[in-house]
Amino acid sequence: MGRVGFSSSRFRLSRDARLGLMLTLPVALIMGGLVFLPLLSTLFDSLYRVEPMKPGNPFVGLKNYATLMGDGTVTTAWGNTATYVVLAVAIETIGGLGMALLLNAITVGRRWLLAIMVLPWCLPPVVNAIIWMWIYNPSYGPLNGILMAMGIIDAPQVWFNDRETGLFLVSLVHAWRMMPLTAIILFAALQSIPEELYEAARLDGAGPLHRLRKITLPLIAPGLTIALSQSTVFAVNLFDEAWVLNGASMDTRSVIIQVYVTAFQNLKFSLGMALSVLAMVVSLAVSAIYVLRVYRETRFE
Amino acid sequence: MTGANHRVNMMNRRQFLQTSSALGLLAALPLAARAQEALSVLLPPWVTLPKEMTDTFPGPLDIQTLGWDEIRTKIVTSMVANTAPASATEMDWSWVGQFGSAGWYDALDDLLPPELKADLPTTSIFTYDGALIGVPYNNDFRVMIYNKAHLEAAGVAAPPKTPEELLAAARAVKAAGVADYPIALPLSASEGAATAWYLLTKAFGGDLFDAEFKPLFTDPGSAGYQAMAFEVAALKEGLIDPAATSLKDVEVQELFKAGKATFDVAGWAGNLAVYTDPEKSQVAADAAAALMPNVNGTSRTFGLPGALGIPVNAANKEAARQFILWMLEPKTMADNYRLLGNLPTRISVLETLNAEGKLREGDVLIAQASVVEPLFAQGTPGWYPEFSGAVATALNAAAKGQISVDEAVAQIAEAAAAAQE
Repeated sequence: MGRVGFSSSRFRLSRDARLGLMLTLPVALIMGGLVFLPLLSTLFDSLYRVEPMKPGNPFVGLKNYATLMGDGTVTTAWGNTATYVVLAVAIETIGGLGMALLLNAITVGRRWLLAIMVLPWCLPPVVNAIIWMWIYNPSYGPLNGILMAMGIIDAPQVWFNDRETGLFLVSLVHAWRMMPLTAIILFAALQSIPEELYEAARLDGAGPLHRLRKITLPLIAPGLTIALSQSTVFAVNLFDEAWVLNGASMDTRSVIIQVYVTAFQNLKFSLGMALSVLAMVVSLAVSAIYVLRVYRETRFE
Repeated sequence: MTGANHRVNMMNRRQFLQTSSALGLLAALPLAARAQEALSVLLPPWVTLPKEMTDTFPGPLDIQTLGWDEIRTKIVTSMVANTAPASATEMDWSWVGQFGSAGWYDALDDLLPPELKADLPTTSIFTYDGALIGVPYNNDFRVMIYNKAHLEAAGVAAPPKTPEELLAAARAVKAAGVADYPIALPLSASEGAATAWYLLTKAFGGDLFDAEFKPLFTDPGSAGYQAMAFEVAALKEGLIDPAATSLKDVEVQELFKAGKATFDVAGWAGNLAVYTDPEKSQVAADAAAALMPNVNGTSRTFGLPGALGIPVNAANKEAARQFILWMLEPKTMADNYRLLGNLPTRISVLETLNAEGKLREGDVLIAQASVVEPLFAQGTPGWYPEFSGAVATALNAAAKGQISVDEAVAQIAEAAAAAQE
């Protein structure tokens, strides 16, 4: 009975089971202590008034959530975050797929190309944003210089003076950093597709686009789901890039920046907690939609 | 797997776990011991005390420097978690209302003898509900800093005394081709942009709020309204760099140091030591100070001093008090100015430095220091950061042309009312 979790005595664990529990206990404690407990605590506190400047922490029910619904600043931040999600996920997915296909196609120097591609992902987000801040700088940034040299613009642009441009540029910086992760996930999925399927398709006269649509995309769908989910979660949680590039400006303020401003600048912690709960729910909901949709469309009959 | 092998593996696993735990504890012990010995202090980057200064403090110091925003975040998160961020921390003038109402800092009234307190005129800014919760050590106030050579080249005889003269001088500098954008003012959504607007509000002869904290800046004839209109008009006229909508105060200062701007309108008083240092500035020989222009001819400015406070749950309060007193010693203050450009808060030290010829533009600084006012006569309110954040974003949007000055001041007034609720 050595392989069975419980011994003949109903409540007595076998040696292996005890070892298994002992080994999983640290992870369970870390997840419980650093993820689930703070999550429950945040959810709980969002129903109270937690503001150090005011005495007491009275129960306020859903008042914090109602306040957020009526706050124009929060609405703008949600709009900005939605734009980040759409732009960043699109850029990361399309660009990441392209990178993964390129990696899959070449055999010589693949590991060097992979190492170069991964570099942006290795950079801390703040460092990444500072590099791009220099590129976008209206006075001496190379972006203005290149576009002027190409004759596309005739005078230096202050890129963040326009809201739409600002949102796109922040999304681009975020996508540049996160795209390697998408590429690696998709590359791993591509590696698992048997070559015989492509050979059979070629014999049947299928062209490259047809093979991509009928073989590659369906078979990397699980990887694509993971890539889309992580892209969405990171885009909903976008903070560093927008903060470094354009500070607290409403043009590019994300929901997580709004959480920071509300909780740590205005010291309205419970309001910030309520907003962070909403951000978590939204990112989980969007990820769930991906998972369910891809699962339905790609499950093997 | 045999029973013997299984036991050996189990032993190995146990030994591995036990050894790892023991090593972890051993590694943590010396760190804990060191932390107990040294006095932990949390300071902003511009107070990165060099070794030649810290060596004179009687005791080991564990100084951590963090950005201004990060210090505040660290204090807030630590105090909410009922843990002191350090035994002594920076206390900005703008945090007094929040930290005072939260009851996070010890009263330090008994630390200062009457003669020392009288030598520190900005202590009132750090008084909350009758208790002194921060001891000012870094005397920041705003003064106009300008480039003498630019004015001479443009034929401007004297530094401007009114906002109108400032505009005229800037136009002359631009017309002479000396500088493309003579006025250096930050207009990004940042605290530095907001404080520059507060200063200009005083330059236009007014204040932000009345005694009941009702906004005084919404009327087109008000000083606050005119100050914002002045900034937006100067930007549109090309007297301020269009990139200013993305620039913070420290970045605007770089423009002045590089000789690209003529007027650092909201100049930091202590920065004169940096601007006149040839190793740090390209305009060292030409940087000069003038009293802040004012429509009424009588200069006004406000103080933004930095202080040191002791969190209520600090581990080493006695040593923290010694550290604060050490930072107030004349030699420490003089070194702090000489090495880091942080202006002394003690009048006697300022006067001594000026008498010895060590205070850059000392006469102007002392004259400006004599008219320093607090931004809020009633004391910095707890809602100040929320209000200031709204000012920064509305001013930034007005500068970008996304909203009018009317809309911007209305938004700020609305945010002020909401913050006060």
